[in-house]
Amino acid sequence: MQKIKFNDYNEDQEIPSLTVGPVKHMDLVRYAGASGDFNPIHTDPEFAKNVGLPGTIAHGMYVMAILGRMCSNWAHPAQIKNYNVKFKGMTMPGDKIVCTGKIKKKKEEDGQKLLIVSLQAANDAGEVKVAGELTVHCE
Amino acid sequence: MSELSKEIVGQKLPPFKFDVERGKVAEFCTAIGETNPVYTNIEEAKKAGYDDTPIPLTFQTTFTFWGYTEFWNDLGKMGIDIQKLLHMKEEYTYHKPIYPGTTVTCSLEVTDVKTGKMNMVTFGGSFSDKDGNPFITSQMAIVIRPD
Repeated sequence: MQKIKFNDYNEDQEIPSLTVGPVKHMDLVRYAGASGDFNPIHTDPEFAKNVGLPGTIAHGMYVMAILGRMCSNWAHPAQIKNYNVKFKGMTMPGDKIVCTGKIKKKKEEDGQKLLIVSLQAANDAGEVKVAGELTVHCE
Repeated sequence: MSELSKEIVGQKLPPFKFDVERGKVAEFCTAIGETNPVYTNIEEAKKAGYDDTPIPLTFQTTFTFWGYTEFWNDLGKMGIDIQKLLHMKEEYTYHKPIYPGTTVTCSLEVTDVKTGKMNMVTFGGSFSDKDGNPFITSQMAIVIRPD
């Protein structure tokens, strides 16, 4: 893996995107098992409807994990200092997860060269489900 | 169930340990469709400058759910209606890599509660080595949907 170089990027420049899906019910069952988050709103359609949801919804952390794949496909994971997200909307089975990111800010702080990247995961209709930020430390 | 109150700020969940196993990391990679070999192939990881394969960016979610299965019950005891809970924010700060074979000491504490139209609870997390030096620190905020 190559490390990202500070001088190779400009503000507003996009990083390589990643699209997955459509999300299947089985993907959520598998993620429940792998992560250990067995909240039935993610795996049991009847339960989800009984608590007022339209059906099962993806774990927010599943979407954060997919978005994280995009981040470390681009930057060397050892360069990633901070990764944060806000969950804006629900991802349902049938939705695609379209991950994109662009350089929001380049800055030098305490002698460190940092790229701040704004991130989002949307469905294929462009509705943003997760928005976040990544801090990448460059040599 | 008790009502959610600001009095739970400062409340800590019992600390717990999580053994990072290679197979568990591979299972997690499969579940999220991770194909970057740095996470599963030791040779690739070494070429990338690691001693072994690092965990993916969000693998630590397993620490709590598998390492501390009382998590949901504890939230209930704090007055959080888990049937109406939605995840609002998650943040990780990475300090050093975690490799398979590592035992991680995990601690979670309520750091903020906001009550009102929407009730919100924030947890701070620390995932550390045996000497107490953090691998990762985290923040998680949840909201409880109103009736």
